[in-house]
Amino acid sequence: MNPSLFLHIAFLETKKLMSYRIDFWITMAVNLVVNLVILWALWTAIFAESGEDIIGGWDLPGILSYGVMVFLTGRIVRGGDLQMTVATDIYEGALSRFLLYPRNYAITKYAQQFGNVLPDLFQSVLMGLIAIPLLGLSTTAAVTPISILMAIPTIIIAHLLFYLMGLIPQYVAFWADNVWSLSVMLRFVSMLLGGAMLPLSLFPESAQQFLQLLPFVYLFEFPTMVILGKVETANWISGMANCLLWCLIIGALSIPVWRRGDLRYTGVGI
Amino acid sequence: MLRYLKLYRQFLMFSFSRAFEYRMDFWFRIVMDCLFYVVELIFFTVLYQHTDLLGGWNYDQVLIFVSGYLVIDAIHMTVFSNNMWWLPIYVNKGDLDYYIVRPVSSLFFLSLRDFAANSFLNLLIALGILTWSILRYPAELGAVNLLWFLFLMANGSFLFYTLQMLFQIPVFWTHTNRGLLTAFFSANKLMERPDKIYSKWTRRVLMTIFPALLVIALPARVLFDGPDPLIITHILGITGVTFLLMRAFWNLGLRSYSSASS
Repeated sequence: MNPSLFLHIAFLETKKLMSYRIDFWITMAVNLVVNLVILWALWTAIFAESGEDIIGGWDLPGILSYGVMVFLTGRIVRGGDLQMTVATDIYEGALSRFLLYPRNYAITKYAQQFGNVLPDLFQSVLMGLIAIPLLGLSTTAAVTPISILMAIPTIIIAHLLFYLMGLIPQYVAFWADNVWSLSVMLRFVSMLLGGAMLPLSLFPESAQQFLQLLPFVYLFEFPTMVILGKVETANWISGMANCLLWCLIIGALSIPVWRRGDLRYTGVGI
Repeated sequence: MLRYLKLYRQFLMFSFSRAFEYRMDFWFRIVMDCLFYVVELIFFTVLYQHTDLLGGWNYDQVLIFVSGYLVIDAIHMTVFSNNMWWLPIYVNKGDLDYYIVRPVSSLFFLSLRDFAANSFLNLLIALGILTWSILRYPAELGAVNLLWFLFLMANGSFLFYTLQMLFQIPVFWTHTNRGLLTAFFSANKLMERPDKIYSKWTRRVLMTIFPALLVIALPARVLFDGPDPLIITHILGITGVTFLLMRAFWNLGLRSYSSASS
């Protein structure tokens, strides 16, 4: 698919999403307030009641920064709520239309997913600008122009990885009547094991080592650590390489599932 | 009343027979909810690796609090959730016509028609987790405290449904309530944490304007600290007011509803 068509599909999706502007602003305001309230309340209580100054390698402002950043980057990585579109295309027969197009279906869907990210990106930047000054200075984390520059490609690849991880559960729609629960399961697991709920450094040592071997860490924790300036250049390069490798592995795994499913697919009309 | 009970029995029979038609989805959903329970329990278990108390509660107390929340979530998923999902679709497609012309309360019919049989199994699992967390509690909880807790938990389920309805009903005017619902589910996270971690003013807001803490956090306080008449009256009073408000809002919504079908 040529880049201009990719961008055209992406912008169409953005325009569609922006048709509901009240939804857009309500979601942003409530998400920001709720997350800040919970983060602040939870971690001030834990630091006060434990009597510790550093927990899992973080001081209080540092862990608050992590909480806000993982929330903001996570929104971009998850890219809105297009998780069920592939399954819906299969169930409703809209897939027939895409099969006739001289374009790769998975890439077309990724272009749509990418377009869905743009409003989230805008919201995340805006929320970041409001939240970061409220957090205070940390001795364990620091957002710098270089860390932001390093975070941009990291988040883009994390977004691709998240999209690819969501494909196989959705392709199960060729066989199963409803796969919504599979997508939700993936979300639960990736949020916990990827560090979206808690920094992975809070897990027991043995669990941390195991979690580093899984792809989930590259979805949420790795981009957040990059943006907080906690990843050195060499580790950043190897982390990016690992993330790309996971993209290749999961993308390759999805191809035979698509081919088998495609053979089973029957659609009426276009 | 008997007529409504008979009608609900029909809803249950229909929902169970339909759930067994889609067996793969049936099991997927059970696994999904179990995974949710595991994630919630791991979250607090990891937190308690770094502190002995959270909001004044120790690990054993938080386990009961979280299990209570899981039961309320399971009740909601079983009894109300599917119906909440369908409501905006009915309003936008004009299918609401079929429900408002029936000789029963439209709110009753639309809130309870679809019973999620698969989530019912999860409700049993969540109740099992709650029983386990109560049985492993090292101190005596007292039968009176426990009865009040169970009663207030049932009340919490009803309050949770009422709150979600308040976020659903604007669909009569807005035609899409995706933003409001996302906001509601986001705000739900406030009820998943012990109440004492919040500052005084946040607690006040969460006990009155958006009474999330009345769903499970305050019932858990009643279990651990004993039945305080002031807290119980507050919980029941706010639930009653919220329900009346929701019913009035529902009737207002119905008056604004213009059918889209013939």
